[in-house]
This record gives sequence, structure tokens and C-alpha cells, in this order.
Amino acid sequence: MENALLEAHGLHKRFGALEAVRNVSLSLRPGEVLAFLGKNGAGKTTTVKILSSLLLPDRGEVRLLGKDPFKDPWALRHLGAVLEGNRNVYWRLTPLENLVYFGVARGLCLASARKRALALLEEYGLLEKAQVEVRHLSRGMQQKLALLQALIHDPEVLLLDEPTLGLDVETALLVQEKVRALARAGKALLLTTHQLEVAEALADRVAIIHRGEVVLVEDKERLLARFAGNHYVLELESSPPPAVLARLRALGVEGEGPFLFRGDGEALWQVLEALRPLPLRRVARAEADLLEVFLKVVGHA
Amino acid sequence: MLELFLVEFWRNLLSLRRYPMELLGGVVTLSLIFYLLFLGARFLAGPGAEFGGRLEAVLVGYLLWTFTLFAYNSLSFGLMEESQTGTLEQVFLTPYGPIPLFLVRNLAGLFTQGILVFLIALVLMALTGARLSFAPLVVLPFLAVLLGGYGLGFAMGALALLYKRIGQLLGLSQFLLLFLLQAPGGFPFSLLPLAPGAALARGMLAEGAPLEAKALLLAFLNGLLYLALGLFLFRKAVGRAKRLGLLHGY
Repeated sequence: MENALLEAHGLHKRFGALEAVRNVSLSLRPGEVLAFLGKNGAGKTTTVKILSSLLLPDRGEVRLLGKDPFKDPWALRHLGAVLEGNRNVYWRLTPLENLVYFGVARGLCLASARKRALALLEEYGLLEKAQVEVRHLSRGMQQKLALLQALIHDPEVLLLDEPTLGLDVETALLVQEKVRALARAGKALLLTTHQLEVAEALADRVAIIHRGEVVLVEDKERLLARFAGNHYVLELESSPPPAVLARLRALGVEGEGPFLFRGDGEALWQVLEALRPLPLRRVARAEADLLEVFLKVVGHA
Repeated sequence: MLELFLVEFWRNLLSLRRYPMELLGGVVTLSLIFYLLFLGARFLAGPGAEFGGRLEAVLVGYLLWTFTLFAYNSLSFGLMEESQTGTLEQVFLTPYGPIPLFLVRNLAGLFTQGILVFLIALVLMALTGARLSFAPLVVLPFLAVLLGGYGLGFAMGALALLYKRIGQLLGLSQFLLLFLLQAPGGFPFSLLPLAPGAALARGMLAEGAPLEAKALLLAFLNGLLYLALGLFLFRKAVGRAKRLGLLHGY
């Protein structure tokens, strides 16, 4: 929390009778990707809009590199955002023109904006389309350009609302790789997505928002391990004889191969003893995925 | 801020180069309106009617109206379009803040609007036989009028930001500008937006009156006052739009 680039404390936002966001607190540290998950209408986009100073909270505060973006707009120099449901770029301009325009509008000088725009277009494979009006580009290219628009001024904090939505597999993988590279370069990224496999692949931490409240914030690996619990999967090269199977059942092993054993590492040795000397194909700790975690958390919240 | 002006200016030129038919459409429509009014007036006055210097004054008044019209409605149309196409929120993420950005946009738009008015003037001079040759000092009261026009533009921009669909209101209210530009310059009309600057310019063009320093000062004070009022209302609207979440779409 000490060196967080973006911090939000106690955000509240109400639209009429709807309490869209309740007491939301989040922080983003350099080099981390925070997956911000929630069902439709849970409060994700409202939170992202508040974090990017486009929506004023009823209560609570946002600090971008220690500055309040609502009072000091220059703090927005450190923020880039891809906003879901927006085009994010001008369709009558070319990718190069868009990037130069937004670069200058975000505080760069013309020469630096042009230089960086060309470098980004090359890096993301859009250079040959640099002079084509955006309305003639494919959706994938437009989406990539929306990301570049957020990156043009090299901000420290990135808010990406569904950045891979509607992309083909290849482009989605490229964007995922770039997100990882940005995090490695020290950027702080908040990623909201319904594609939980994308979130699982990219996130260092996970926050789940449900009915306007953040119900869980945790390191991804710890979270998955916690939900996986002490479960082990065992696979044998061939079916065990009935006597061995009876011993396994007595120890609480379930399934017909692969077998599932719910117990700690010490108890696992008893199972392995019971199997000796049958050849093993695989012994592994059972894993939970983010989808399972999400459904359990949202289901119980 | 200079870089911002240059990039906005460049964006305007790109649009002009890429979509010249929009400019041409503006020139044809606005020229046609005046020409039809001119034909109507000539029909009413009879075949031997001579308008003399009054035609030039009316033409200059019309050109001033078109210029003011752009100052008045370009911000609102821009906001409506950007909110519809989904770029408005990105524009609001500028660290310069929305008000300085839109002020710079207005300033950068002056050049392209100037080209449009210049082309209309050429077309109308050819059609009506009017010859415009006015003192360069008339530019000063014109500027005062434009300041007020931008002020009213920001006030309408405030409505566009909050209510989005204000095209009808803009269309109807532009005729109010005609009244303001034709209003007498004396008290109490001098309190109305645009009126003192327009009256001063009219006097200089139609009657050959000299540029009065006091009247010019009054015109600039009036223009600045309405600009400040427009900016104040726009600022309030930005705050309200951010409170109510109105920056995104219709």
C-alpha cells in the first residue's frame, strides 16, 4: 500500500435508488496486474470511471501517484484508460493521427508524440495501417489502437476495461503478452474482464466486486491454493486390483481413476503406501481455477 | 498549450482536407439562404431598386452572423457527436482539463470557420454584385462579438453535455442571434450579448462611423462578461455531468 501508484479509499456512489458502489477500496502497485471481476451491474465500470476521474464519488477519495485527479487534472498525465463500450479513438482519423492527437492532448509535445506513435504502431503490428482511417480497420485493429491510445503518453497506471473483448485469438494473445510486458516494465494495471481465463493468465491479484461491494481482494496464487484446499489427484498406469481398491476406499480415496484424495500431505503418504508397488502415472495437487473461485465467491456473497 | 493548439488546428485541417464536401455544403447552404433573401428583398422593392451601400452592410451583418453561428454551436455539435461516437470520455482524460481544451479547440476552429465565411463572402459578392471593402479596424468589434458568441456557445455546450439532444434548440435559437446582432447599441440593448459589438461594427460599415474607443471597450467588456458567464455555466455542467455520470453516450 505504501508505494501504490493508484489508491482508492471508501468509494461510494449512488444513482437514485441504486447504490452502485459501496465502500470500495483498492490499490495498485507498480508491476502488478489486478483483475477486477464482477457480474454485469456489479459496479466494475462505475469504479473504473471513478478511478479515472470521469465520475465523481459521493464519498471516498482517489489518489493517483499521491494526487487527487478531481482537484489536480495534471495527475491524469499518469493514467491511461481503455473504456468499455467506447470507441476511444476518432474514426475519421488514421491510427497515426489519433495517436499524435491523443499524445499531445495527454501532455506530450508534437515531435515526441509522433515518435512514440510510430514506435507503438510498429511494436503492435499496425504500422502498415498507420495511414488508413480507423473506420476502415477491423475491430481487432481498432481495439489494439484503443490500447495504444491509452499507452501513448507512457502512463504509470493503466485501467483496461475489457481490453480483449471481441478480439480474435491471435490478437487477444498478443494483447495478453503486451499486458504482461507492461507489468514487467513496472506499470500498474487494473484489468476488468468477463473472460476469467484471461484474468487468470494475467493477474497477480484478484478483486471481486459483488452488488457494489468488494467482497474479496487477494493474491491470485494464494486465492487459487486456498480454494483448491488439500486435494490430490492420483492416476495409475492401470486399474488397481480389488484388494488395493478396497484399501484406497478405506483411506477415503474417491473416483475411479483419476482418483481424488481429500487430505493433507501426511495422509497422502498412507495412500501412496497402499498403492505400492503399482506404477503411478501422476500425483498432483488438485487446482482450482478462477471461474470456480468466482462462482463460489459470488454465490456465497 | 501551444502544442495543444497546433494539434487541434492540424486536426481541423485534416478534416477539411479529407471531407471537403462538408465545407462545400456549408458554403452552398449559407450562400443560398442569403441569396434567396436578397432575391426576395429585390422582388419586394421592385425592379429598379438600388440598395446602395446598405447591401454591403447587410451582407457584412450576414457574414458576422454566420461567423457567430459557428462560435455559438460548434462546441455543442462537437460534444453531441463525441458523446455519441464514444470519444468524449477520452477527451475528458486530458490533463489540461476540459475547459482549456475546448477553449483551444474553439480558437483552432476559427481558421477553418474563417475560410468558410471567406468563401461565402466570395460567392455572395459574385451573386449580388456587392463589393466589400471595409476598414481593417472593423475586425476589433467583430472580435468582441465572437467572444460573446463563444460565451453563448459554452452555455449551450453546458446544455449539450447534460441533455445531449439539443439540436432542435440550437436550430431555433440561432435566429435569436440575428435579433442580437441587429439590436440597437444603446442602453438597455447594450446589456444583451453580442449587441454592442455588432452595433458598433454596423455603424462603421453602414454609416462610415469612426471606431469609438469607449464603444469598443463596452463591446469587449460585454463579450468578456458573456464569455465568463458561459465558461462558468459550462464548468458547473462538467461538475454535474461527472456527478451524474453523463459523460458517456446518450
